[in-house]
Amino acid sequence: MTITIALPSKGRMKDDASAIFEKAGMKIVAVGNDRSYRGRVEGLDDVEIAFLSASEISREIGNGSIDFGVTGEDLIREGLSEADARVEFCARLGFGHADVVVAVPEIWLDVDTMADLGDVAADFRARHGRRLAIATKYWRLTQQFFSAKHGIQLYRIVESLGATEGAPASGSADIIVDITSTGSTLKANHLKILSDGIMLRSEACLVRARKAEHAGDPLVAKIIDAVNGALA
Amino acid sequence: MPLINLPAFAADLLADFERLGTLRVDTPVIQPAEPFLDMAGEDLRRRIFMTESETGKSLCLRPEFTIPVCLRHIETATGTPQRYSYLGEIFRQRREGANEFYQAGIEDLGETDVASADARAIGDAIDILTARLPGRRLRVTLGDQSVFEAVVAACGLPAGWQKRLIHAFGNSAQIDALLTRLSSPQPVTGLSPEIEALLTSGDDATLIAHLDETMEATGYSTNASRSPKEIAARLKEKRALEKTALDGRTLGLLREFLSLSIPLADAPAALFAFAKKSGLTLDGALSRFDARVAALGNAGVDPGLLTYRAAFGRPLDYYTGLVFEVVIDGSSAVLAGGGRFDRLMTLLGAKKRIPAVGFALWLDRIEQALAQRDGEAAR
Repeated sequence: MTITIALPSKGRMKDDASAIFEKAGMKIVAVGNDRSYRGRVEGLDDVEIAFLSASEISREIGNGSIDFGVTGEDLIREGLSEADARVEFCARLGFGHADVVVAVPEIWLDVDTMADLGDVAADFRARHGRRLAIATKYWRLTQQFFSAKHGIQLYRIVESLGATEGAPASGSADIIVDITSTGSTLKANHLKILSDGIMLRSEACLVRARKAEHAGDPLVAKIIDAVNGALA
Repeated sequence: MPLINLPAFAADLLADFERLGTLRVDTPVIQPAEPFLDMAGEDLRRRIFMTESETGKSLCLRPEFTIPVCLRHIETATGTPQRYSYLGEIFRQRREGANEFYQAGIEDLGETDVASADARAIGDAIDILTARLPGRRLRVTLGDQSVFEAVVAACGLPAGWQKRLIHAFGNSAQIDALLTRLSSPQPVTGLSPEIEALLTSGDDATLIAHLDETMEATGYSTNASRSPKEIAARLKEKRALEKTALDGRTLGLLREFLSLSIPLADAPAALFAFAKKSGLTLDGALSRFDARVAALGNAGVDPGLLTYRAAFGRPLDYYTGLVFEVVIDGSSAVLAGGGRFDRLMTLLGAKKRIPAVGFALWLDRIEQALAQRDGEAAR
């Protein structure tokens, strides 16, 4: 059986992923030229490499059209419902670190925790005639964190596909849920992360689609072992 | 493919609604999504079927009837009191069961005799279910948020804590976590020396002016979201409470109250005894509670069916008082659920406050209960 592994198609993520595979003894060579979207692994004939964008990888692994993928945990958990039932996180790869966080304006001196935010949200409509607005592209993670974990129901999500951190100052939302690696963009926009507002500590992961035919396949086990071996 | 035939008993149900003197209404299946998300919260989004109009307006398939019926009432400027009934399909994404199914119910808008209206809603639900499911023993559980509100108020808890507790009411995990958190002090930390000094000085005007200036300087509007005044007021409240923790006695009282689960007929005496023993003044809430129990008696509702569970509520901010659920004895499938939502009409845009109570019947579950009985009879 041929195993398909999807790797990020460009940038740091592509280089870092290729480096780990090489260290694991699975050197990846592009089929055709360097810009090709297909690849293979030297010495492993039954493995195909597909270079895809990070969000495509999360989608393709969700519908099982690829066997393995390297992508951010945030994209998997945001893109797939019941992610843990559908994919296995085989290895955390130590790059692509980013936290998904709840950030509020720094000037909200009285808001330090999710409990504070819950108070503010409960009152918001009475005070402002509308629900507390959260700018984010992370619908699913936000709903899980606010509703299921913290029992906060009274808010509205305002979809934001770029420059989310500017939403509170521009008035298009009150707070944000966004990804941050150093926190500097948040700081530049006078936002602060709530003390218990880290929703997910994400990094690039090797993920496997949970497919029945993987059981007992030595190649599947070999790929997982090799990548974990390279990290040790 | 699930069968979506109208249940065989639908005609009988409509006859029940007519006999009960309600006005049958229907509403479009395609509804604006905003009111549902606004009232029930963002969590609803993944449980409803949403789409967009060509102009980008969010639309959804009707996930329930209460909001559309109330909006229709407001739009048609119908006078009150008015009792509506409905029967039609609703659409929800469910892990189990079909995604489209029938619901029917009654919404009683504008009846100012609250106790009688509450009793009538419960009585009608029991009456209808008894007619559809002859010979089955029903069980009704009642809750009342206003009693809990009276208890936390009488405990003399700070206003902010009262709001938090009331907000968490109905969600036992949340309320447990909250009680635990309130049992230890919550210090306010991380403030700059400048803010600390302003807080200590008690000079509110300067504190607000300082927040105002900072917002201007950092490019934040002072009126688009939370205002300097609002932030300062809540900061002061937090500071005032930072050394306070819920004392053991109050915690014990709250837990004792929330654990009450007794026959409704015994509830007035039990609540009175609880208030007396704990030294809490709950008079207003208790007399309203007693009036409802009396009204249920006057309406001829069998008291043996009714249980009061003090912690039972719905964590939606438009439910204000009574909530109830009807099941068949020994089953957990809710056949009818209802409650009082006095805050909903004004939230939806009604000019004046309109008291409202109603209930919904889950026709698919009633059908299952009927099928189960037929199955048993066949054996």
